[in-house]
Amino acid sequence: MITGNLKSSYATDEQVLNNRWKRLFLWLCIAGLGLIAAFGNNYIILIACQMGIMLIAVTGVNVVIGYTGLMSLGHAAFLAIGAYAVVIFHNAAGAIIPESLLTLAAIPFAVLVSAIAGVIVGLPSLRVKGLYLAVATLSANFIVLFLIEESFSAPWTGGVNGINTPTPNLLGWEMDTRREQFVLIATLAVLGLLAAQNLFRTRVGRAFIAIRDRDYSAEILGISLYRYKLISFAISAAYCGLAGALFAYFYARILPEQFELHLSLMLVAAIIVGGMGRTMGPVFGVIIIVMVPELIKVVFGALAGGGAELAMIRAPIQEIAFGALIVGFLLFEPFGITQIVDRGLRALNRWPFARG
Amino acid sequence: MGQLLQYGINGLMAGAIYALIAVGIVSVFKATRVVNFAHGYLIMFGAYFYFTFAVLVPQAAWAPEWLQSWRPDWMIEMREGLPMFSPLAAVLDWLANGPRILLGLAGALICNALLGLLIERTLMRPLMGQSVFAMIMLTVGLISILSGSAQLIWTSDAEFVPALAPNTPIRFELFGQMIFLFGADLANMVIALVIFAAIVAMVRYTKSGVAIRATAEDQSTAYSMGISVPKVFSRAWVLASTTGAIAGAILATRNGISPALGLFGFSVLAIVLMGGLDSYLGVFLAAMIVGVLEALAQWQLGGEWAEIVPYVAVLLVILIRPHGLFGTREIERI
Amino acid sequence: MLSVQDLHLSFGGIKALQGVSFTARRGQITAIIGPNGAGKTSLFNAISGFYRPDRGKVVFDGQDIFALRPDRRAALGIARTFQNIALFRGMSVLDNIKLGAHTRLGAGVFDALRYFGRAQAEELALRADIEARIIDFLEIDHIRKAPISALPYGLQKRVELGRALAMQPRLLMLDEPVAGMNREETEDMARFILDVQEEFDITILLVEHDMHLVMDICSHVVVLNFGQQIAEGTPDQVRRDPAVIEAYLGAAA
Ligand SMILES: Nc1ncnc2c1ncn2[C@@H]1O[C@H](COP(=O)(O)OP(=O)(O)O)[C@@H](O)[C@H]1O
Ligand SMILES: [Mg+2]
Repeated sequence: MITGNLKSSYATDEQVLNNRWKRLFLWLCIAGLGLIAAFGNNYIILIACQMGIMLIAVTGVNVVIGYTGLMSLGHAAFLAIGAYAVVIFHNAAGAIIPESLLTLAAIPFAVLVSAIAGVIVGLPSLRVKGLYLAVATLSANFIVLFLIEESFSAPWTGGVNGINTPTPNLLGWEMDTRREQFVLIATLAVLGLLAAQNLFRTRVGRAFIAIRDRDYSAEILGISLYRYKLISFAISAAYCGLAGALFAYFYARILPEQFELHLSLMLVAAIIVGGMGRTMGPVFGVIIIVMVPELIKVVFGALAGGGAELAMIRAPIQEIAFGALIVGFLLFEPFGITQIVDRGLRALNRWPFARG
Repeated sequence: MGQLLQYGINGLMAGAIYALIAVGIVSVFKATRVVNFAHGYLIMFGAYFYFTFAVLVPQAAWAPEWLQSWRPDWMIEMREGLPMFSPLAAVLDWLANGPRILLGLAGALICNALLGLLIERTLMRPLMGQSVFAMIMLTVGLISILSGSAQLIWTSDAEFVPALAPNTPIRFELFGQMIFLFGADLANMVIALVIFAAIVAMVRYTKSGVAIRATAEDQSTAYSMGISVPKVFSRAWVLASTTGAIAGAILATRNGISPALGLFGFSVLAIVLMGGLDSYLGVFLAAMIVGVLEALAQWQLGGEWAEIVPYVAVLLVILIRPHGLFGTREIERI
Repeated sequence: MLSVQDLHLSFGGIKALQGVSFTARRGQITAIIGPNGAGKTSLFNAISGFYRPDRGKVVFDGQDIFALRPDRRAALGIARTFQNIALFRGMSVLDNIKLGAHTRLGAGVFDALRYFGRAQAEELALRADIEARIIDFLEIDHIRKAPISALPYGLQKRVELGRALAMQPRLLMLDEPVAGMNREETEDMARFILDVQEEFDITILLVEHDMHLVMDICSHVVVLNFGQQIAEGTPDQVRRDPAVIEAYLGAAA
C-alpha cells in the first residue's frame, strides 16, 4: 500500500526524492559528512576517506554488474590505471601546467584514460556473456598489472617497487592533510552517487537494465547491444578511474600489489552485500566491507594487546570474514542490505495497521 | 633448436598438469553449470593435506620410524657405495619415502574428497536452481574462505615434500638433440595424463558418466528420467576435489607449498575457457598449448612473461572464437 | 512496405523456411497462418534480424535490410511482440513502455548523468506522450506503476503491445497476440489492433491461430506449412484453397 504519496503532476511523479523522508535523509547524510569533516578525529577521517574512495569505485561496478548484468572480476585494473595516470600526469606535465591547475587537469585525464581502457576491456563483452566475460576481465586485471610492473614501464610507474604520489592542489588550495582530502573525496562521492542515480531516470540507464533483463528484447527496441555494453563499461571504468585518482592522492605511495585481484573481488563483494542494481547498494556494501575488517582489528587489538601470536591469525580471520560475507549474503539475503532496509521501511510505513 | 625442443618438452609436462587441474573445473561445470573459481584453492588444500600426511604426521613423536624413512637392511646394503646421480640410488631413496608418499596421497585424497563434499552440501546445494551468477560468486567468496583457513590451519612454514616418483635425471637423444629431464617430472606427466584419460573414459562410457552428461544436457529432464541430480552434483565435486588433491601433491613437489598455489586455478580457468568449457579435448589441447607457450615465454622473455601467457591467450581466443576452441555454441531460441 | 523474397532458413537439419515470399501492404493487416512448427515465428525472427537466413531478401520501404542488426531494423521503424511475452519482468509497466521509445529519444551519457536540462525535458515530454497516447488508449492507467510480474497474462500482452507502440513504428509484427486468452480478452485485443491500424496508420503483420480473428480483421493471408508457403491471398481465397484445407485437416487428422 502506498501512503502519503499524493501527486498532481507527472513532473512530481518523475522525481526521485519523491517524499519528504527521502529528502530529509539526503540532507541528513550531507550534514553528517560535514560533521565528520569538521569534528572527526584522524581515525574517523581515515576510515571515511577509504570508504569514500571505495564508494566511488563500487558505484561504477554497480553500473556494469548490477544494472547492465555484465560480470566483471577485473575492475581493480581501472583503479590502477586511474591512480598511475594521475602520478604520470603530474610527473610529465608538472613542468608545463601551473601547480594550481595540475590536479584539475590530472583527474579528468585519469578518468578519461580509464574510460578508454574500459572500452578496450569491454570489447569481449560484445562476443561473450556471463562467465566468459568474468574470466576475460579477470585476465585483463592480471595483464594491466603486469604492464605496470614490467621493466619497460618502470621509468614511469616505478615497477614493482611502486612510486610516490603528488599532493592535490585545487586552484592554489594545497590539500596536504587528510581532512582536506576528505572534503574532496566526500564531495566527489556524493556527486558520483547522484549522477549514477540520474543515469537510471533516462534512456541510457533504462537501456542498461533492459540489456541485463533480456538482451534480445532490448535489441528489438532499438538498443544497440554493442554500443550500450561498451558505454556501460566505459562509465564504470571512469568511476573506478576517479576512485583510483583519489587513491593516488590520498596515499603517499602506490604499489601494483594494491590493485590485485583481491581488490576486484572486494568491489564485487560490496555490491553483493549492499544490493545489486540499487542506488543505495554500494553505500551499504562499502560500509560493511570496510567496517568488518576494521572491527576485527579492533577486537583483536583489545584481546591481544599487541601479542604477536594473535596478530598472526588476524589477517587470515579477516580474509575468512570477507569470504563469509559474500557467501552468507548469497545464501541468505541475495538482494543485499537494501532489501533488508526496504522490508524495514515497508513495515514502518504500514505500522500500526499491519506488520511485515 | 635443441633449446626449443627442450623447452617444448618442459612445456608439455607442465601442460599435462594444467590438464589434470582443468579436468576438475570441466567436470563440475558439465554436471552443475557452475564454473568453480575457487578450484585453485581446492588444489592448494590438496597440497597442504599431502604435506600434512607425508611430512607432518611421519615427523610426529608417536609415528613409527619406518613411516618417516623406511630403510630395511637390504636397502642400506644396496645403497652403500652407489655414486651420486645413480638411478638406482634415486629409486632406493624414493622407496625409502614410499610409506609416507602413500600415506600422503591417501590422506590428501580422502580429506579433499570430504572437503569437496562439504562445500557441495553446505554451499552449492542450497543454491541449486538459482542464477548462475549467484553460484559463481559463491565460489568467488569461497576463495577467501579457503585461503584464509589454510593460513589459519598451517601456520608452520612449509617444508620440502617427497616427490611422487624417483627423481633421477634422465638424458636421451631426440632428433639428434640431447634432452634432459627429471624422472619425477616425467612421472607426474604420466600420472596426470592417465587420470585425465581415465576420467574422460569414465564420463563417456560408464553409467555415472552418462548421468553426468544427461544432467549437463538438461537438468530437469534428467531429473524426470530418474537420475538423481543431487548425487551427480556431489559426485562431480568429489571428482574435482580428488583430482585436485593429486594435482596439489604434484604442485607441492614442483613449486613448494603456499597459499599462492591457489593462483594456478585462475590460469587454468583461462585455459578451460580457451579450450571451450565443456569439451575435454579442447581443454586438453589448450592446456598443452599454454604449457608450451609458457615454457617458450620463460625461455625467451623471462618468468613474469610466462605468468601472463594464459591470460593473453584466452583473451585472443575469446575475441576470435567466443566459445573457445572446441566449445559448443548455443543458439538462443526466441 | 515490407517485402520478403525467397527466404530460406535452416537449423542444422531442420528447414524452418523454404522459399517464403510475400508483400505486406502499407496500412493493412497481413496474417501469417500455419500449424505449429510451420516456421511463423522463425519468419518473424528473420524479419527482425535475430536469425540470419541462408538465402533471400528482406526489403523494408525500398531498403534492403538483410545485413542490418536487429537494433538498426528497430530504428527504421519495425516493432514486434513475442509469442511468449518478452517484457522486462522486474520493471514497472511505465518503464517498459518508456523503453519502447528508446530510439525516439536523444539524451546522451552526459545529459543522463546531469539529468537536469535536456534529459529532464525529454523525459517529461515522453511521460506526457505515453500517458496520452498509450496508457489511455490501452486502458492500463490503473497498473502503470505495477511490476510486470504481478500482472495477469492478458494484461501483459497488452503492455507488450503498448511497448511496441511507444516506438511509433511503421511496421508492427504481432506474434500470436491472443493465444491463451479468453473470449472477452480476445475481443478487446482485436479492437485494439483495429484501432492501432486506423489511428496510427501502421502496417501490421500478424501471426495467429484464431481463425475467426484472422478472417475478421485481415486483408491478406499467407499460409505456411513445414516452412513452405502453400497459399497466399485474401481470407476468402485462402479459406477455399485445397492445399490449405489439406494442411489443416491433415494436421488435425
Ligand atoms: N533456434 C532454433 N534452433 C533450432 N530449431 C529451431 C529454432 N527456432 C525454431 N526452430 C525450429 O524451426 C521450426 C519452426 O519453428 P517456429 O518458427 O517456432 O514455428 P511456429 O512459430 O510456426 O510454430 C520448428 O521445427 C522449430 O523446432
Ligand atoms: Mg511460433
